[in-house]
Amino acid sequence: MKTQLTIAVIATLSLPLQAEINISGFASVNGGKVLSGSGVPQYGIEPTFLADYPIVSAYTEDFSMKPESLFGLQFTGNLSEGLSATAQIVARGANDYDAKFEWAYISYELNDSWTIQAGKKRLPLFYYSDFFDVGYAYVWMRAPADNYTWQIFNYNGINALYSGSVGDWSISGNIYGGREDDTNNKLLSEFFFTEPTREIWKDILGGVIQVSNDWLEVRATHMQYTNERFRSGVQVLWDGKSEREGKFYGLAMNADFGNLFILTELNRLDLGGNLDTAMITLGYRFDSFTPFASYAEFEQDDLDGENHNTKSFGVRWDFHSSAAFKIQYDDVEDNSFDLAVAGDSESITFGIDVVF
Amino acid sequence: MKKYTLAMTLFLFSATTLAEVAVIVHPSNGNAIDAALIKKIFTGKSKSFTDGSKVGPVSQSASSDVTAEFNKKALKKSSSQLKAYWSKLVFTGKGTPPKELGNDAAVLKHVASTPNAIGFITAGSEDSSVKVVQKY
Repeated sequence: MKTQLTIAVIATLSLPLQAEINISGFASVNGGKVLSGSGVPQYGIEPTFLADYPIVSAYTEDFSMKPESLFGLQFTGNLSEGLSATAQIVARGANDYDAKFEWAYISYELNDSWTIQAGKKRLPLFYYSDFFDVGYAYVWMRAPADNYTWQIFNYNGINALYSGSVGDWSISGNIYGGREDDTNNKLLSEFFFTEPTREIWKDILGGVIQVSNDWLEVRATHMQYTNERFRSGVQVLWDGKSEREGKFYGLAMNADFGNLFILTELNRLDLGGNLDTAMITLGYRFDSFTPFASYAEFEQDDLDGENHNTKSFGVRWDFHSSAAFKIQYDDVEDNSFDLAVAGDSESITFGIDVVF
Repeated sequence: MKKYTLAMTLFLFSATTLAEVAVIVHPSNGNAIDAALIKKIFTGKSKSFTDGSKVGPVSQSASSDVTAEFNKKALKKSSSQLKAYWSKLVFTGKGTPPKELGNDAAVLKHVASTPNAIGFITAGSEDSSVKVVQKY
């Protein structure tokens, strides 16, 4: 698959005279610190606010601008007749600004309704998953951390995109399949297990359907995959088996009344037991200022299972036509002992998001 | 005289702040194009006219007054809301915003010479080379 993709990318890139290359990008320069926190003494973790699980954006009591700052560039080569090749390169402060290809795919528009894409893409699990890095596109500093806890966020595969409408309703959706083999998964290796962990999600198959009208938007999704894991090269067994099946269900509803808006998400991951996440945000637009309040939680259906929630307050200020300033206060409550993540914390983060 | 000047000033003032926007298409375009379809076209939700032909929407510079007016009246979004909306689509491979042209004259020229084009200009800048389908 990888070689085929490379060949295809090279093939498309070797026709530079016919291609129109568009460059666009996004950047976030954020900083923050934990005001007070418990840490997780039993695991030797100091007071920490884990603002973004998959890329391990961890703030501590020392002010830092590295955890969530990032810089992304997108290149799209438009060939004629609906064919295009897109690459997105992202450099993250959390990875010492090492630039990496996060997206690399070829897209072909079959007709007005269907587009086929193949390559490396973001896994569209949650509502905000596939534009998680583009802070300018949403109101908070980040999509609620308690919900966006997944260790795998990209996949290699094929995606079919649909868009259409029925009366006043717009309908869009996609069906995708593929796999991801993350040889050194950041969240598991650096945060949870503190040993090199290889995370494999194979036979990924998922679908998303989204309907919207002038003020209401509803998104439903389902995805299933087979999980395999190696810790320090040793295969992890779950109930004596080397594989386990994951099933994900998600429902998001957003209502926009002009100035007042409500954003909600409900998700369940069934990995033998259920992991439930939920989020609700209320915001109000006062011209260029948008204050918001948000609550998000994660609950594992188990005795002393992973269990945490966050109350957030903040404001987004659109001070420029392509840039927004945001400041946010987060109050995290971590209720589990054995599966404590980063403990309780109160923190402040702020920054600027731009798109260009 | 003074009164007249004041009236003139008020008139000019209101004329600039409440500039109307005209949505224009090629004169040969016979499709029914209402406000709802315009909204769908300029948010990437409709890609064709009612007769099935592909739409080619063009916009103007994001910082221009006519664009701000069009976004507010036709799309019911502020310019930054619209920018946030498009960045979500652009960086997920789901859509591309209409191409931005420099000014009313550039849009007029483009629409007059492109059968499937649709654009917006300050009302009053149109001429017989295009057809006005909607005014806000």
